[in-house]
Amino acid sequence: MDETIINYIKNELIVSSEAIDIDAEDDLLGSGLVDSLGMMKLVSFIEKEFELKIPAQDMVIENFMTVACISDYLKAKVS
Amino acid sequence: MIYTIPKILENAVKGHPEKEALKYMSQSLSYSDLQQKAKALATLLLQLNLKKGDRVGIYMNRCIESFIAVYGITMAGGVFVPLDPSVPKDRTRFLINDCDIAHLITIPTQSRAIDGITKEPISLKTVIGLEKDLEVKTIPWKQVFETNSTEVVFPRILGKDLAYVMYTSGSTGLPKGIMHTHNSCLAYAKGSKEVYNVRANDVVASHAPLHFDISTFAYFTALLAEATTVILSDAHTKLPASLSQLMEKEKITIWYSAPQALIQLLSKGLLEEKDMSSLRWVLFGGEVFPKKYLKRLIELWPQAMFGNVYGPAEVNQCTYFNIDKNYKIENDLPLGEVWENTDYRILDNKDMPVEKGLHGILAIRSETMMLGYWNNNELTEQSLYRESILSDYDYVFFKTGDVVKENENGDLVFVGRNDRQVKIRGYRVELDEVEAQLIKHENVREAITYVEKKENDSGDTITAVVLLNTDGSIVDVKVLQAHCADNLPKYAVPEQIYIMNEFPRTTSDKVDRNKIKTKIAEDYNG
Repeated sequence: MDETIINYIKNELIVSSEAIDIDAEDDLLGSGLVDSLGMMKLVSFIEKEFELKIPAQDMVIENFMTVACISDYLKAKVS
Repeated sequence: MIYTIPKILENAVKGHPEKEALKYMSQSLSYSDLQQKAKALATLLLQLNLKKGDRVGIYMNRCIESFIAVYGITMAGGVFVPLDPSVPKDRTRFLINDCDIAHLITIPTQSRAIDGITKEPISLKTVIGLEKDLEVKTIPWKQVFETNSTEVVFPRILGKDLAYVMYTSGSTGLPKGIMHTHNSCLAYAKGSKEVYNVRANDVVASHAPLHFDISTFAYFTALLAEATTVILSDAHTKLPASLSQLMEKEKITIWYSAPQALIQLLSKGLLEEKDMSSLRWVLFGGEVFPKKYLKRLIELWPQAMFGNVYGPAEVNQCTYFNIDKNYKIENDLPLGEVWENTDYRILDNKDMPVEKGLHGILAIRSETMMLGYWNNNELTEQSLYRESILSDYDYVFFKTGDVVKENENGDLVFVGRNDRQVKIRGYRVELDEVEAQLIKHENVREAITYVEKKENDSGDTITAVVLLNTDGSIVDVKVLQAHCADNLPKYAVPEQIYIMNEFPRTTSDKVDRNKIKTKIAEDYNG
């Protein structure tokens, strides 16, 4: 799950000709890796990829700070 | 008398020393704490041999340190230059060299980006705000705050001295620096404090980053009013549910942002159950607020006043339109009337004033006006309109480039642009700059760009259509996007890029932009 999300961020959200490494613990929000438009795209990607719906109230920092947070949130949601 | 940026703080400390000036996440700073920290930074800058008028870069997101930097730099007589940490490093390096920045102030979370900026030789001498093994000297915040500032004599600063240089998109393909003095900054802070009646018991949300000109409300007006500023973290501005929680929790009384931020909250349905009864002003600017969203917001927050704020960064603010309870929103909101201490002309393309009621370019003369563009007299002169009053005295107006007309109520109404400047999520983008960047790519022969209007929560985006070299070049559009992202801010990178074999042309062999748009819409958007 981590890898799918990281790949999406790397390939679709970060537009740069320089290679950027992201690991599951990197702060996606404070570091500027993902902007607000990117965050919206990431949410719709996750909804499609994992076939679930993320309610607006769940779009909070605790759930989306890092890829690890996103995975934890999704796992809790599925179970 | 408050006539410089440091005097804003000095005044607030006199009135409310222990009052909370800033809040950021779990941190909080009183007015006297803020002054002490700014003083320590100013002292350190003087020890680093900063001379009056020297430029100092501020490279960080919204945070408490960005306020300390603004007030510390100006206290030392320096000129601050906001640098957007989200733009590519080559663009940052260009800005640092363009205005000859010797000292850069940052925070540890920008460590990775600072590495990139300083890897190759650059004019920088010091990076303040982190500790790291770099080619240039670094000084951590801890050391800044330990600087003894008790005996220091700060330079004498006048209202007419340069205070900051704010960069914006330039049509030549390079960003241009807008120079503001303490006077123009204070004229704005005083004007906005009065128009919106900002008071010490207000809680102002700081949503715009420092490099976006509407940030001056939180950085200066709020402190002039001795109010409390709640600095929104980057994380909050990206996650609407967290943002609406924070607005409710902090009991924000004054909100000011580009419309996009509010539209996102609204369209996600995150505002309905929140108690936002503390809000008394909702201000927006940077671009037109789509009326269907604005109407819903007004219904949702009946107790709040809504204000459309207008003014290019070159003049800060120059008009206001506050929505009266009885006002019916049928068309886009007017820009409103010019505020106090401001005059205007509406000019035709020969710089002649038009007849009342006709379209023309808005020119503004005011105390809030910039000194000029950094290191570019020619561009400054082109942007001005002069009316000769005496043989050696002119009234000098800034030509905004915005086409307006005056309506029957005497309000100015926005009609369009007379050039190719567009707004993306409130930010100014010169389409010529985007095209210039595309053409720099080795495989691109010609490029045109336009704005794709989207009345939804993602906002307008830029579309590019390019022609590749005729040598059979193949290039992926992702590569072209990355090429743009290497030099342009994120919001200026085309969201869609299409490749055509040839552009439709007019009989005079000019590229027919309208035909291209229609063709792309037919071929790709069904």
